[in-house]
Amino acid sequence: MRLLLAGLLGLMLVAGEADALPMFARQTGQNCVACHAGGQFPELTPYGRLFKMTGYTIGERTLPLSVMGVASYAKVRDTTKTDDPTVDFQKNNSGMFATGSLFLAGKVTDNIGAFIQVTYDNYAGQSVGPDGGLGKFQSHSQADNMDIRFADRFIDANRDLIVGLSVNNNPSVSDPWNSAAAWMQYVPNASPTSHQFVDGAFPGFGSGGNIAGANAYGYWNKTIYGELGLYGTANHAASFMSAGINNANRTALGGTNPYWRLAYTREWGAHNIMVGTSGMTAHVFDAGSDTSDLGNRGRFRNAGIDSQYQYLLDPHAVTAQVAYMRQTQDYSANTMAAAAPTYFLADGVTPVASPNPSDVINTFRAKLSYVYQAKYGGSIAFFNLTGTTNTLNQTSGFDSTGLITTADPNGTNITSTRVNGNLSGNPSTRGFNYEGFWTPVQYLRVGVQYTAYNKFNGASSNYDGFGRDAKDNNTIRFYIWAAY
Amino acid sequence: MTCARRTAALFAALLIAVAEAGCSNVERSRDLANTSVPGKVLALQICSNCHGVDGNSESPNFPNLAGQTEHYVIEQLSSFRKHSRIDPAGFEYMWGLSRHLTDEQIKALAAYYAGQKIRTPNRPTGRPELRDAGKAVFAGGVPEKNIPPCATCHGADGLGNEQFPRIAGQHADYLVKQLVVFQRTDERPEGAIMKVIAHDLTRDNIDSVASHLESMPVGK
Repeated sequence: MRLLLAGLLGLMLVAGEADALPMFARQTGQNCVACHAGGQFPELTPYGRLFKMTGYTIGERTLPLSVMGVASYAKVRDTTKTDDPTVDFQKNNSGMFATGSLFLAGKVTDNIGAFIQVTYDNYAGQSVGPDGGLGKFQSHSQADNMDIRFADRFIDANRDLIVGLSVNNNPSVSDPWNSAAAWMQYVPNASPTSHQFVDGAFPGFGSGGNIAGANAYGYWNKTIYGELGLYGTANHAASFMSAGINNANRTALGGTNPYWRLAYTREWGAHNIMVGTSGMTAHVFDAGSDTSDLGNRGRFRNAGIDSQYQYLLDPHAVTAQVAYMRQTQDYSANTMAAAAPTYFLADGVTPVASPNPSDVINTFRAKLSYVYQAKYGGSIAFFNLTGTTNTLNQTSGFDSTGLITTADPNGTNITSTRVNGNLSGNPSTRGFNYEGFWTPVQYLRVGVQYTAYNKFNGASSNYDGFGRDAKDNNTIRFYIWAAY
Repeated sequence: MTCARRTAALFAALLIAVAEAGCSNVERSRDLANTSVPGKVLALQICSNCHGVDGNSESPNFPNLAGQTEHYVIEQLSSFRKHSRIDPAGFEYMWGLSRHLTDEQIKALAAYYAGQKIRTPNRPTGRPELRDAGKAVFAGGVPEKNIPPCATCHGADGLGNEQFPRIAGQHADYLVKQLVVFQRTDERPEGAIMKVIAHDLTRDNIDSVASHLESMPVGK
């Protein structure tokens, strides 16, 4: 927090009124709408994508600092069907400073530029109170998205080839299209559990972020984009990419972890479209486990297709995005060796089926947004996550007396709470997300989001076995999002 | 400082040092503060992103610059640089990009675009009756309102002359927006003469003449 405040103060002192904009705008001297479609950061325009692909090197070197903050308020529809509302709905129905980021970004040389984000979470943890219950919230800062690039462009009347190398810490954060997994969610969410249902499901890579990758990419004649990357654990020289995360919590990868991306793009008049595919194989050790034991290593295989269409003609900005990601997770040998049926069938005698060693999750998301005059905007999104049923993922079930419980009758697993309970062992989650926003000045956005579920954790009603329905998780959220 | 942090700091410092040592690359630079970067390099590396590599832009949000008169491009870039052109579409995109351009770079940019070949749509765009109405305004003006023909200053072929820009083959959407800027604002003082001319144009006049110009054959 102190770091952020210092950064904000520093910026205000050195930046005059005309330059009181985030660092990329200072670097090019342009308005946010040049790079962000309808001003709705972070979605990029065709020019913004080229700015990124050419390594953030357009313009001039300038003060490479910006700050971003989100104030947030969320209310979950039903907060009564819970074992403990103070755990399941932290900060429900109350406003708060949700999250803030400090950016170190911009042009370094003619060929090198960077985008480095460090994020402060005001509610990263909660201490134990004097009575043994939940105490005060604890804040924490850690490395967020990082993308350091070298790029060159060979362009004349007959050809246009951009080539580059990105050193980054999150698969697809290097991607210039906003239907890529790392960029499809726009407004940063907050960590208190009152915000856990905001937005619904997004396609993503199983490896998660805060890993270290080196990706080579090329964009030919504004038509074909290709990218290949390799990822490993963000330790040793790359530990800055997981700064703020301790060894036990840092994602540990083993073996070869390739990432790939291929996209076709076309621009005609005020329209542009991208159709692409991407994928990754990641060998991930179980959290906090011994990385010298390969029995702790599982595997994620992701493959997806995505597409983005934009119509950008002042004062209108229309964007349609569709993304589908299939993820196959093979659990580690040690996870499976320790996995035993935890719950019973309704008779209280027969154990549920043995856990499966792998799961498949299919995530689909489509979003349509419109912004008028780069000021007034709205969007509607549909999300549908489906997947295999696996008793390994059951977090509620019947005990030996035939009663439904969220506690593990064997006492070996962590007790789950009803709100996150999963009686079916199936992850299916489906719903809509509606958003309206207003951008009174280009670096401030005020908005409201409503997320409505008709399926959650495999069922529309009674998904936890205690009567909690998917729609009970419907959440309204208000936010103020500013960057400076 | 832990060992890992020290290594990371060293790594970053080394990266920047190596990069600094060998990278003033004026032949492929995108540095807008380096006055030694040739105008043509800026045209290819930066301007092409919106205006097209040959000055024929794909999106009507951005004007075609191919075949534009050198005088006009120099005047516009200069007025962006000194902030005298203040229409939003202009300042949002162009103030920053032009702020450190030298007179030499501006002249080179103007010469580059003046030398590019104009590409017009393969097929006429817009409704035929709209284009016909626009052709009448272009060639004959609106006599009852004493509005002179566009061709008087911009040339019978619409290719412009010195301070009068080429308008043939320009995006209709861009022409409409700029005519509205001239008509309703003082945001383009260098084009004040157009304020008088556009003053009595109706919206139909504007739409039709823009439609005609977008499809007007050039270079024949």
